Amino acid sequence: MEERHTCTDKSVLDMTNPKPKAESQSDEAEDPDGGWGWVLVGALFVSTSLVFGLMRSLGIFFVEFVQYFDESAHAISWISSTGLAAQQFFSPLGAALCNAYNARVVVMTGGLLAGLGLILASQATRLYHLYLTMGVISGLGWGLVFTPMVATVMAHFTRRRTLALGLAFSSIGLSSFAFNPLFQLLVEKYAWRGALLILGGLSLNIVPCGALIRPRRRSKAPAKVDSETGSSPVSVLRRISSYLELSLLSERPYVTYTLGITLLNVGYFVPYFHLVAHSRHAGFSEYQSAFVMSAAGASDILGRIVSGWFSDLGHFRLIHLLSAWTTLAGVFIMLLPLSSLSGSYSALMVISLLYGFCSGALTSVVFVVVPLIVGVERMMGALGLLQLIESGAGLLGTPLSGFLKDVTGNYVASFIVAGSFLILGTLTMATLPHYFSCTDPPPPPQRSSLDDKHNGLHSELEHMTSSPSSDTNHRV
Amino acid sequence: MLASWKQLIFQILLLLISCRHINTTSPDPTPPPLVPIDSLPRDVRRAAFKGEGQIEKVELLNPVNLELVCTWTGHQNKESNITGFWRKDGLEIENSHLTVQLQNEQYQLQQVFNIVSEENLGNYSCVFESEVKIDFVVAVPQIGEIRDKPVVTYVGDSGVITCKMEDSKPMPNTWKWYKANGTDKEEIFAAAEPQRYEIKNNERKTKLLVNNLTMADSGLYYCGAVYTLSTSMGHVELKVITYYEPLKPFMAIVAEVFILVTAILLFERSRSKKNDTEGDMMSDQTNTLSPGENNGLEGSSSMRQRKT
Repeated sequence: MEERHTCTDKSVLDMTNPKPKAESQSDEAEDPDGGWGWVLVGALFVSTSLVFGLMRSLGIFFVEFVQYFDESAHAISWISSTGLAAQQFFSPLGAALCNAYNARVVVMTGGLLAGLGLILASQATRLYHLYLTMGVISGLGWGLVFTPMVATVMAHFTRRRTLALGLAFSSIGLSSFAFNPLFQLLVEKYAWRGALLILGGLSLNIVPCGALIRPRRRSKAPAKVDSETGSSPVSVLRRISSYLELSLLSERPYVTYTLGITLLNVGYFVPYFHLVAHSRHAGFSEYQSAFVMSAAGASDILGRIVSGWFSDLGHFRLIHLLSAWTTLAGVFIMLLPLSSLSGSYSALMVISLLYGFCSGALTSVVFVVVPLIVGVERMMGALGLLQLIESGAGLLGTPLSGFLKDVTGNYVASFIVAGSFLILGTLTMATLPHYFSCTDPPPPPQRSSLDDKHNGLHSELEHMTSSPSSDTNHRV
Repeated sequence: MLASWKQLIFQILLLLISCRHINTTSPDPTPPPLVPIDSLPRDVRRAAFKGEGQIEKVELLNPVNLELVCTWTGHQNKESNITGFWRKDGLEIENSHLTVQLQNEQYQLQQVFNIVSEENLGNYSCVFESEVKIDFVVAVPQIGEIRDKPVVTYVGDSGVITCKMEDSKPMPNTWKWYKANGTDKEEIFAAAEPQRYEIKNNERKTKLLVNNLTMADSGLYYCGAVYTLSTSMGHVELKVITYYEPLKPFMAIVAEVFILVTAILLFERSRSKKNDTEGDMMSDQTNTLSPGENNGLEGSSSMRQRKT
């Protein structure tokens, strides 16, 4: 009962107990919520649109590729699959490099690679050239960009994290609205070669976004790396595993959460791929089906921003909000085929709008829960590993739904299975420790290294000398 | 009497000579013979008058005897007899005037046309009383699925132009490709220049590959679906551009990126210089204070001890 009371009167809690606030201040050292953080949100907005918004609009090129290379649509679709897979596969690499060096260099390199991949693709003469350039090289670039930028933005906020991410991720939907006609225009004017060249140039705009990342004055590197700087294989491996945060894989909360998100991913993309086909199947015209998809996309953008703003109001725990959005999204996915079975276009439209809103809402929260589970220090590596592990789900989900459709003849089974995977994800997340408590659990202890005491003292001294706030405390 | 005979023979001779000259082909297209040739199959197309500007499409592949039947319910006051005739491409067909009788509350005009060659294709109209008209467009199947936007390719690259006859329409016998040369069309023979042109025919689809493009290859290309009666044409424009075209916006974007990055890094360097001077002052303060801090800590702990 007492706990429920504190849930609703969180402001009272804050006022009577100023300790948590001081902890959060020390969490992010120099930057309060805002200021340069919002500049980075803008940078994340631009880079996310150039990564995912671009990936989503590549479909315009496929018709040209099919005609030019005389290949099947299936072979051509592997280009974007390779790109997405590479982006997710190289995410831990990007995170590790950020831990080892600094995020700015990594993101700028990623931007260069992404642009280079597309520029080289414009010179392709065979199909496998496209797999290597648009798929692998650009995918590697995208992997080096996305996770570091998300982690950097999250590190610059505490109270407004979800809103920051929600605003930045709304770029995906907005840019795919803008990119579709733009790419069409480029292809008509310059053919696919010239269009890819110009896209490569556009992707280079990720480099100034990365340049906006300020190197952190409080260097995390000494706290992370063991004081032993020997080059023996064992120590090198240990350092690499610490950069990759592989120790997270042995921690139950993180593994549980990752499993939940992976299950979510199995079903998450299914409506995105099959909604239009399902609407046509249900008897609606091409225009009506495309409109349903666009409407879901628009409510997706709205959902991201609204969820970001709402989550940061602090009325509910983020993990509870995530569970709510995921469950709702799962339910609406299951309702999608049932609503169109009745033949009513307005029912399909309403359910699609609701589905779009919930699926957008959950994307804002997914990443923000990670530092609550693993701490801000290990967030970078945690995000990288999360991206890698959840990529497997995407590979499983779409072929499974296609298989179900082939076997049963319609999309009802595919959607119901997809929705149930989302609900399974929620149930998995419910097994997280402290799930049913009203307040967030205390932040996890710092990762212990070999020279415990030495590093502990080292970091304390750093706290004292680098952050002016603690200085004033001592002075008074 | 002999003189009149001579006159007669002379007149007959004159008649024969002038008749020979009468027997020349007219520059206008010959109207089709109105007598059907029995060896051809018969195709019947009917149309009832619905309104002005009515056009019926007749798709033919092979030579047929085409019978066109027009029916009209007539005006309010239906006369028992009206006149009707046929037109081809706007010109009245000779000897086609008929008197039509009212039968079963409607007038019916029918005619059999001999469609054997390309000249016989066109726009046939049945006309009642010079006012009510139904048009029949008699043609080979038209190519529907064809690109209306120009195909853009680069100098030195190879270009592909495709033409497809829809599945709902009959397959052509073969395909031919032409390049526009002023107002004329020149046929492209792939066999003559195998390095430059390649034609891949596939029943319903045809592809023209042009290798090693030059600026001169820009222009209109025609694909022809060859049927026995005629060839149906579709046209696609090929545009050849140099690499400089997309390179210009590309270099502009690269310049913009470069300027942004330099500006950001310079701005940060100037800010960090400012902070460095401030930071030096700060670190001096902390250095002087750190022995003081330790004193403060010790002091507070000793105070606590005193309190307890």
